[in-house]
Amino acid sequence: MNDYGITWKHLASLFLAVVATALVIERAPASDEAIFPMPAGKTYVNECGGCHTAFAPGLLPARSWRRMMAELANHFGEDASLDEPQHLAILKDLESLAADGPQANMRMRRISAAIPANAAPQRIIETGYFKYMHDEVPRHIWQRKKIGTPGNCVACHIRANEGRYGEREVRIPPP
Amino acid sequence: MKRLIPLFALCIGLPAAAQTPQLILESLVAKAGPASAARGEQLYRAKSKAGKTADSCAACHTDNPKAVGQHVKTFKAIDPLAPVAQKDRFTDPAKVEKWFKRNCQEVLDRPCTPQEKADFTAYMISVK
Ligand code: HEC
Ligand code: HEC
Ligand code: HEC
Repeated sequence: MNDYGITWKHLASLFLAVVATALVIERAPASDEAIFPMPAGKTYVNECGGCHTAFAPGLLPARSWRRMMAELANHFGEDASLDEPQHLAILKDLESLAADGPQANMRMRRISAAIPANAAPQRIIETGYFKYMHDEVPRHIWQRKKIGTPGNCVACHIRANEGRYGEREVRIPPP
Repeated sequence: MKRLIPLFALCIGLPAAAQTPQLILESLVAKAGPASAARGEQLYRAKSKAGKTADSCAACHTDNPKAVGQHVKTFKAIDPLAPVAQKDRFTDPAKVEKWFKRNCQEVLDRPCTPQEKADFTAYMISVK
């Protein structure tokens, strides 16, 4: 091609390298992406994800989950009670992955810091963090048939059952 | 290796008692009498006055058991109930029992009888 010995082959591999790097960057989760740890195994999604999204434990502090787990027989008007072994296993996971749990990340700590120490909220959608994150979603969007309520996380956050709420994985269903 | 771990987990996680809808129906029939898909369809569609938030099975599962349903309170999408449309339906006896218990209570304010469960299952299998 010229005197410097640069050939089309060189250029092509350079191009490929740039494309490959761009792909890697695109796929790597940004460190601040909204990803919450989820309990291992299928028990949590099976037992707590049948009637609604399997909410990530990191969305509420441990005291909220303890209270909820103690009142499962009357859970928002439903009977969500569990067998003893499942109850124990789920409570343990909720406590260790809670917003104020031992491994909480920055995002989870912010959630728990915004909840007064004497409160044990039972609704995620009433927490300051949830409201702040969704203050730009207009009311009529929540009323779309496939959404219905802000609590229907998985209608928009398509990978919510894996604890993934990042903005690249939001798909708001059309009316 | 990391990619293999979920695969192993999947194998171990498979319910030991994975069954077919037909086998589940047979074990229900053994506790009741011969099943009737027509009676099962009535149960599916019947409006009940006892329901707290849903007045029929169809309220959440829609008029068409092959269609994606929606929970009346949480609005979560519910996979179709008919095995022809959703392969894993009626393959896990413990799951089937758990939801009969919850949903019959919810709609009828009482447990379903073994006969009702057999009829309902026969109806779901008959949906083509
Ligand atoms: C039988 C159905 C059912 C099961 C099983 C169930 N829930 Fe619920 N859950 C509900 C209903 C109904 C609501 C209230 C929905 C509403 O009114 O918006 C609710 C609400 C919630 C909320 C509040 C969501 C919000 O911010 O509005 C949380 C948190 C929750 N459930 C956690 C759990 C956990 C944890 C489990 C497992 C131990 C569980 N649920 C199992 C039916 C169920
Ligand atoms: C109408 C669809 C919709 C529903 C339903 C919904 N969200 Fe969101 N959510 C959004 C949108 C839009 C954003 C903003 C995305 C952005 O720009 O970062 C968002 C942002 C978030 C974020 C912050 C993401 C980030 O990148 O920082 C979290 C966490 C979150 N939602 C959790 C939830 C939870 C938990 C629920 C259910 C209790 C829920 N959402 C229900 C649409 C929805
Ligand atoms: C309030 C909403 C609601 C109503 C009403 C309802 N169901 Fe369901 N049903 C569900 C949900 C949620 C599931 C489990 C979610 C899933 O597996 O996708 C389910 C699952 C089931 C299953 C489990 C099937 C399998 O093998 O996976 C059976 C059986 C069932 N329902 C029977 C009934 C019957 C019988 C009635 C009427 C007496 C009824 N349902 C009414 C919400 C409802």
